[in-house]
Amino acid sequence: MPTVTRWFIKAGLIYFLMGVILAFTAELPFINSGALLLPVYWHMLVMGWLTQIIIGVSIWMFPRKWRDKKKRESVLTWLTFWLLNSGLILRFFTEPFLPFFNDTLTVQLIIITSAILQIAAICTYIAEIWPRVHSKKRKRGVSA
Amino acid sequence: MMPTLSVWILRLSLVYLFITAISGSVLLIHKSIPLHPAAWSLLPIHFEMAIWGWLVQFVMGTAYWMFPRYLTGPKRGNEIFAVISVVLLNTGILLLISAPFISPDNAIKAISRLVIVVSVALFSASLWNRVLSYRRVPH
Repeated sequence: MPTVTRWFIKAGLIYFLMGVILAFTAELPFINSGALLLPVYWHMLVMGWLTQIIIGVSIWMFPRKWRDKKKRESVLTWLTFWLLNSGLILRFFTEPFLPFFNDTLTVQLIIITSAILQIAAICTYIAEIWPRVHSKKRKRGVSA
Repeated sequence: MMPTLSVWILRLSLVYLFITAISGSVLLIHKSIPLHPAAWSLLPIHFEMAIWGWLVQFVMGTAYWMFPRYLTGPKRGNEIFAVISVVLLNTGILLLISAPFISPDNAIKAISRLVIVVSVALFSASLWNRVLSYRRVPH
């Protein structure tokens, strides 16, 4: 298993645990968070856990672009990891407090940065995995 | 090697992932800096595409590619069932996200859910016999 995949899976497991803890916390009557925590734990589970596991495993299992012996990890995979996780962390620490600090310019900038980081992560992942999703016929056609 | 159908399914799921990320980012920014009153209408598009278009479809494409293949006959069984199920799934998703803009009642939404049910049933049927261990298959 490549190092970057291990990082994706371990980060995914952390988000999985945090997501279920937060979902449990949101149900406690004395917390009274309303719907503030709902988008946070849903994104922890769907983006932090499921998507991150899919990204990590696909980087590991999908056919490689270049069949080199060292099985080098692409810069794009590491970029995806750091962009996605920094975007998610910024989001998770800011989103629940939006109703209280929404007018603050710093908070608005953090939210915009988080959104851009997440889109950038998806773009780098697609750039990495799209050429690796190909059929035998096409590969033969290219090499011929 | 990856079958052509899986290539299509996986690439479609990546397109949905991209649209999901864009719509999600617009919604996130809209929570902090109001962009447009209609921005919240992206919410159903965002989560339906994330669940059905990205997650479910990516898993379907990978399962169709990686599950054990038949030792005789077509390697992945009758491809027609899988093709129809993918066409139905994507028809269902597109109907589901366009339903609020086509009709205010729930009729189109219900039809799109039914289309997805038929798609999942067909896909499960086509994959059912590939859930096995080669150790139990007489060679």
